[in-house]
Amino acid sequence: MSSLPVDVLAGAVAGGTAIMYAGLGETISERAGVINLGTEGCMLGGALAAYAATATSGSPWVGVLAGIGAGAALAAVHALLVVTRRANQFASGLTVMFLALGITSLFGAAYVGRQIDSLDPWAVPGLSEIPALGEILFDHDPLTYLSFVVGPAVWWLLYRARPGLLVRAAGEHSEVLLVHGYSTTVIRYVAVVVGGGLCGVGGAQLAIAYSNAWFEGMTVGRGFIAVALVIFAAWNPLRIMAGAYLFGAALALSPALQARGYGINQFALDAIPFVVTLLVLALLGRRTLLAAPDELRRVFETRTT
Amino acid sequence: MPAQLTPDEAAVRTAAASTTTTHGGPATAVATATATGPGAAAPEKAAGAPPSAEVAADESRLAALGGGVARWLAALGGAFAIFTLFLLVKGANPVQVYADMWTSTFTNQPSIEQIFIKAAPLLLGALAVVVPARAGLINVGGEGQILIGAVAAGGIALAFDSSLGGGLVIVLMTVGAMAAGAAWAGLAALLRLTVGINEAVSTLLMNYIALDILLYLIYEPWKDPNGTGQPTSAELADAAKLPYLGTTSIPVSIVFALVATVVVAALLRYTAWGFRLRVVGGNPEAARRAGLPVALLLASAMVVGGALAGLAGMVHFAGVEYKLRTGITTNFGYIAFLASWLARHNPVSVVLAALALAAITVAGDSLQIDANLPAATVNILMGLVLIAVLGWTARRKSNGGAKR
Repeated sequence: MSSLPVDVLAGAVAGGTAIMYAGLGETISERAGVINLGTEGCMLGGALAAYAATATSGSPWVGVLAGIGAGAALAAVHALLVVTRRANQFASGLTVMFLALGITSLFGAAYVGRQIDSLDPWAVPGLSEIPALGEILFDHDPLTYLSFVVGPAVWWLLYRARPGLLVRAAGEHSEVLLVHGYSTTVIRYVAVVVGGGLCGVGGAQLAIAYSNAWFEGMTVGRGFIAVALVIFAAWNPLRIMAGAYLFGAALALSPALQARGYGINQFALDAIPFVVTLLVLALLGRRTLLAAPDELRRVFETRTT
Repeated sequence: MPAQLTPDEAAVRTAAASTTTTHGGPATAVATATATGPGAAAPEKAAGAPPSAEVAADESRLAALGGGVARWLAALGGAFAIFTLFLLVKGANPVQVYADMWTSTFTNQPSIEQIFIKAAPLLLGALAVVVPARAGLINVGGEGQILIGAVAAGGIALAFDSSLGGGLVIVLMTVGAMAAGAAWAGLAALLRLTVGINEAVSTLLMNYIALDILLYLIYEPWKDPNGTGQPTSAELADAAKLPYLGTTSIPVSIVFALVATVVVAALLRYTAWGFRLRVVGGNPEAARRAGLPVALLLASAMVVGGALAGLAGMVHFAGVEYKLRTGITTNFGYIAFLASWLARHNPVSVVLAALALAAITVAGDSLQIDANLPAATVNILMGLVLIAVLGWTARRKSNGGAKR
């Protein structure tokens, strides 16, 4: 058994990846001014679709594509409700979560206990030999390696590329888009659906790489952790990566301690992501909120009547 | 009290008028965002004065009612049509499934009783959304406040149910659970008023903290030493369980919930507090200029909401569960949140919304037993109904938005 810190950090990377994908997806969506509390549902949908497609086709990569599709489809329902029908974003997101809970339990029952050809960890030759660091970073499943690239890519896309500029404009000054002949509606749809697709990858990683199993409600709140993570990271994809590992470490700590015979109540640790997010918000206060996209702040300030 | 209202009201009206007309830049943003609230509420009040306008308003309301019913029927029809498609894709016979759902949900006494049993915490949880919504606050934290209420009731039960009389324990649990829920929600209000954390965000995060507190307690300090299997707390003493209504097996929870509904509706409609909440919810800036204690009003709305959710946790614990266990709430808080939206935050319609969602939940059991589909399948139906109602029953947003 490797040392405790290495164990926890390796667990943080493995367990934080699903949260990271979902957080990155949620960031894109929120940058365009749409908060999606259905993240939990998009992850669940992605998890089942990936698992089922892998079981049926025999290829985990087909599974990943199916996961993207399911996450995107569920997010599209949210987009339809909030962008076109102008429903309240919180109510719509939770509705999508229940829809996904229902759909995955209806179609998922057949896949409980099915064996699949999963995405196995693959140690990177050479790099995985580095003491400590090798085990922490380079002995994981392919989706985890992919996330090392996707995080910076999302950052680049949002801050250095034209599509990202449009997304951010939709979240900050939608009237500017109008002046330049773009449709805020289309951009928001794209952002929410792409974000849902990334949540679906997170679900896929959970089902076919991390747990290698499907069971009802298997995301157990990771989607909500992702929503917390986005706020914690102040809508910045690079901080999302760091935050995902921090939250992943909190989740990995108690199994690692228990494996060493320390009796520890894991629920005290499970609360860490939420407590830490609240503390960060309290300490940074309004500054964090100021980092929020304008249109998103408007959602929070919308009267409920 | 009512005499005191008039100057407030007048001041608010003028202030509201001035904020919406004079400020160009930021106010327009606020005005669009809040168009559904103050825009709809203020003119309606103003129009109430001359009787002729009232008659006209009644007529247009009647016409709107007809249109509303048609819209609702179309939307719900769409929801059921899509659910039928899901059943077909799954290979189930929809006619059979609907028939089974109907007979096993509405034609036997135990199921009908189940609807009322499930409706009680849903109704209280929905009221916990209604009251803050009146002040423009979004309480997504019903789930956590319900859990904390149940935890408080459970703790009081563990401490006293063997030493004190049953009735006294029930009173203590009620007070304790309401206080705990109020404190949990009050913390969110405090965070908003001091460091500016949005209450929708903080209440959502605190749901999971509450859940972890519950799990922490039942896995260690409060674990029933004689229990087997999944950890739970020790069972509530028989004397402290909520009694049943007459000869039914419905605990008095539903009475608690209905009384709370009447009280909340009356408070919101007939007291200065209720009126001021609406003013704050409609236009906080105007309320501030009119000299209303905005911070205090926001906090009070949140605290009252939390107390109602705490009560929901208590009635569910002492009326149904008797033990604290994992999954004690099964998303009640979130379903209640959606019930409040279903009822457009109207404290009377919320009764119907809670009963409807409770019926859908109970129908899930029949799906499992009769149609051999997972019980959670009804979440699809619930989701579709909510999508239909949220997206397709509101009046067009362009002319003032949904009523209330």
